[in-house]
Amino acid sequence: MKDVRVLMGHISLAYQWALSPTDARFFDELRNKRIMGTKCPKCGRVLVPARKFCPRCFVDTTEWVEVSDEGVIVTSTLVGEKLRFEGQPIEPPYGLAVIKLDGADVGFSHFIGGIDFSDPEKSMEKMKPGTRVKAVWNEKREGKITDIKYFKPLG
Amino acid sequence: MDVGIVGVQISSHNEVFGKTVRDAIYECTRGLLQKLGIDKNDVDTVVTASSDYYQGISCSNSYYFEAAASYLKDATKVEGNSIHAFMYALMRVLSGHFGTALVLSVTKASEIPQISELTYISSDPFYQRPVGICDVTAAALQATKYIKEKRAKEEDFAEVCVKNLKNAFYNEKAYRKMLIKVEDVLNSPYVATPIREYECPAHCDGVVALLIARRERIKEICNGYIEPAWVAGAGWGSDPYFLGDRDLIKSGGLRKASEMAFKMAKIENPVKEVDVAEISDTFAHQELLWFENIFSESGVDAIRSGLTTIDGDLPANPSGGSLATNPPMAAGLLRVAEAALQVMNAAGAHQVADAEVALAHQTYGNAGQHHAVVVLRR
Amino acid sequence: MRRVAVIGIGQTKHGKRNDVNYPELVYEAVKRALEHADITIGDVDAIVTGSMPAPMEGTNDPQLWLTDALGGYLKPLMRIATCGSTGISLAHSAYYHVASGLFDVVMAAGMEKMYENDPQGTMTTVAEPFYQRIFTAGAPGIFAQQCNAYIHRYDIPKEKLREAAAEVSVRNHLDALENPYAHIRVKITVEDVLSSPVISYPVRFLDLCPISDGSCAVIFASEDFVRKAKIDRVAWVRGLSYAGDEHNFGDKDLVNWESAIKAARETYRMAGIENPIKEIDVAEIYNPFTYQEILYYELFGFCKPGEGYKLVLEGAVTKDGEIACDPSGGVLCTNPIGASGLIRVAEAALQIMGEASNQVDSCETALAHAMGGVNQFNGLMILGR
Repeated sequence: MKDVRVLMGHISLAYQWALSPTDARFFDELRNKRIMGTKCPKCGRVLVPARKFCPRCFVDTTEWVEVSDEGVIVTSTLVGEKLRFEGQPIEPPYGLAVIKLDGADVGFSHFIGGIDFSDPEKSMEKMKPGTRVKAVWNEKREGKITDIKYFKPLG
Repeated sequence: MDVGIVGVQISSHNEVFGKTVRDAIYECTRGLLQKLGIDKNDVDTVVTASSDYYQGISCSNSYYFEAAASYLKDATKVEGNSIHAFMYALMRVLSGHFGTALVLSVTKASEIPQISELTYISSDPFYQRPVGICDVTAAALQATKYIKEKRAKEEDFAEVCVKNLKNAFYNEKAYRKMLIKVEDVLNSPYVATPIREYECPAHCDGVVALLIARRERIKEICNGYIEPAWVAGAGWGSDPYFLGDRDLIKSGGLRKASEMAFKMAKIENPVKEVDVAEISDTFAHQELLWFENIFSESGVDAIRSGLTTIDGDLPANPSGGSLATNPPMAAGLLRVAEAALQVMNAAGAHQVADAEVALAHQTYGNAGQHHAVVVLRR
Repeated sequence: MRRVAVIGIGQTKHGKRNDVNYPELVYEAVKRALEHADITIGDVDAIVTGSMPAPMEGTNDPQLWLTDALGGYLKPLMRIATCGSTGISLAHSAYYHVASGLFDVVMAAGMEKMYENDPQGTMTTVAEPFYQRIFTAGAPGIFAQQCNAYIHRYDIPKEKLREAAAEVSVRNHLDALENPYAHIRVKITVEDVLSSPVISYPVRFLDLCPISDGSCAVIFASEDFVRKAKIDRVAWVRGLSYAGDEHNFGDKDLVNWESAIKAARETYRMAGIENPIKEIDVAEIYNPFTYQEILYYELFGFCKPGEGYKLVLEGAVTKDGEIACDPSGGVLCTNPIGASGLIRVAEAALQIMGEASNQVDSCETALAHAMGGVNQFNGLMILGR
């Protein structure tokens, strides 16, 4: 066994990212259990989370629209036991999905919860694309994306 | 070379602070397109410059991609000296594949760790990091040598500060504007000898965008209303990594960059033929040091004789330079933007009269390792 | 327009390389590329380099530290970084350096030392922190979601797709055994793949690429230089293009993946290719994932949407089939990310030159591709005789 020489180190850096007025308003509304999007005057799409501009048309999107806290799973995956990395927010296994809320034209990412995750295949059946879901809110809300605890499959 | 800069848009600290990188870039890009009266579809390719560590978001252009009018476009990113983004955009247009290119750079110093912390971790973990080599300490080592070898005085460095911070008053986009005297600088505490507090860069938030285009496209998109800043010459070069491997005063990389740019621009007597220069003055002494390497004339004499003051024959940093405004990685492209404004006669209150030939220079890396020089002509 | 060719390539033995530090790893690839091109560092006019986000190795602006190892002393050198697609962006940049007329010989070099940090942790930081970062489970989570969307969109028979994916894994691993530089060189069976642990459903351990240390350098030159230096074995660049989608994961359609479709279409147009599966002999597709390789066949026009699995089960993408996909063993067996995209170009060039370790008979046209960001960027390059 070759003797390998390694130098150990750790880098820890603090950041403080500014919230744009658009983000700030979106998060304030989340605190009130309202999920907001903005509508593009050119292509007509309702973008969630609310945006300052439409990424495709490159114009300001100033019309705010409330969307439902219920919608459909566009795609999902069950993050397995073995996938662990630094900074991971919760212990696997857990569900991840892109959800298109009723009223929105694009999806956004969030957790799936409220179902059993012990068997990957069985869990995926309950959260497969096309499944309808509803937001489960945190009691204590701070104006962050995690004010929504997760989306729970319906039915 | 038939490529010119047709438009420049600079977002000042106040215009960027309190917005996300993405929204700030959108506003700057949108502003530039509106100013030129063109659409995002008139932009054929995009080259941006930003840094992951300087943003806290890895693959930094991923986050702001569409904000830089890049949706579904052939767009790419340079990391390091933002003038490299200008060079790469230039090459894309020269190849004939693209008629126009948007070049953009961003850094928000307000959102990120101390800049010295980020330059400190650009030192390798084995030799230079353990002894604390960062932007300030490396610059200090260099300044000490400069004083010894070129008999520069701390007063000379202080004069650069006084000059640039005063120039900044005439630049509405500048961040730090001050009317100070040499004594004020010399009475301020040392950060690392011989560098004083005032002689360090004014880190801030900023976005810089410019559009370059081939001659034929310029006629199409600008209806003849715009006199571009023609790219006359471009060059870049590198010095070795280890401080101890370099001379620190004579930069082979900068000589190479300058020679390449001057040769392309057919400039034989730079100090006579260049009318205005935006030189990387990240630390005050470096304006003099790089001046020397670029123009092969004493930097110390240049400041003492008044050559590089706003009324001199070769004003350096009429914009106030990095001593006044330093969005860390975007500073390079800002030098090019300011040089372009001079040549386009659009620098407003800090316009240098009869600026036909302007030079922009930026260095990147501790004590200045990678250099880039651009020469623009009316 | 100035013609540009690949005149030489070099790569390290990829894998866990704690026998060298980062600069020495790079030096190994650069030296080999110069030898292969039969030129000296003095002949190189400019250098482009790139790697994954600097947090991957924990040294900011690594191009500064690596300047010497790259042969960058005094030379024009710049860093290009577009995440996983860095390798192809490097090839494009080197191409444009030469095509611009400013330089005659330009070296592109990509590198990575993934064993020095937590790759999944680093990759997760590509997602912005406001809305998406906590929902990003590294690369596997992203690819798994794309795969599930794909299955749902075309109602693909799951068993068949799973079998095809497993065959893709087996084929790549077998091909890697022919490649002395490849990282993972083990023989596996379809059963091994299907029974390996689930990482992020439906992606299993053997559907996934490894993390690797490694470096690759590719030297591009102008037609003038090729003629003057009398170089007789080159690979000409016949087409290239790149495109990017939106950053927000939920904004884009990962099945009718626009950036991949557009980049391929533009590249084919430039190269004069109308029927890719017939006209392209080798396709070095960026394939960190089995399922994604299959989706790429469709996006690149090899077959109809939803039918990628059929190409696999019919044997169409093997060395003896209609289009040899990843005869090098692909990203699936070797993944020093900053170099991975460039290795695709290097392997495609070797195939054209007739010098690949797993050579395909009479390869006239080869495709190289890479993907970057959170399924955001796609770039291609086509090389020919």
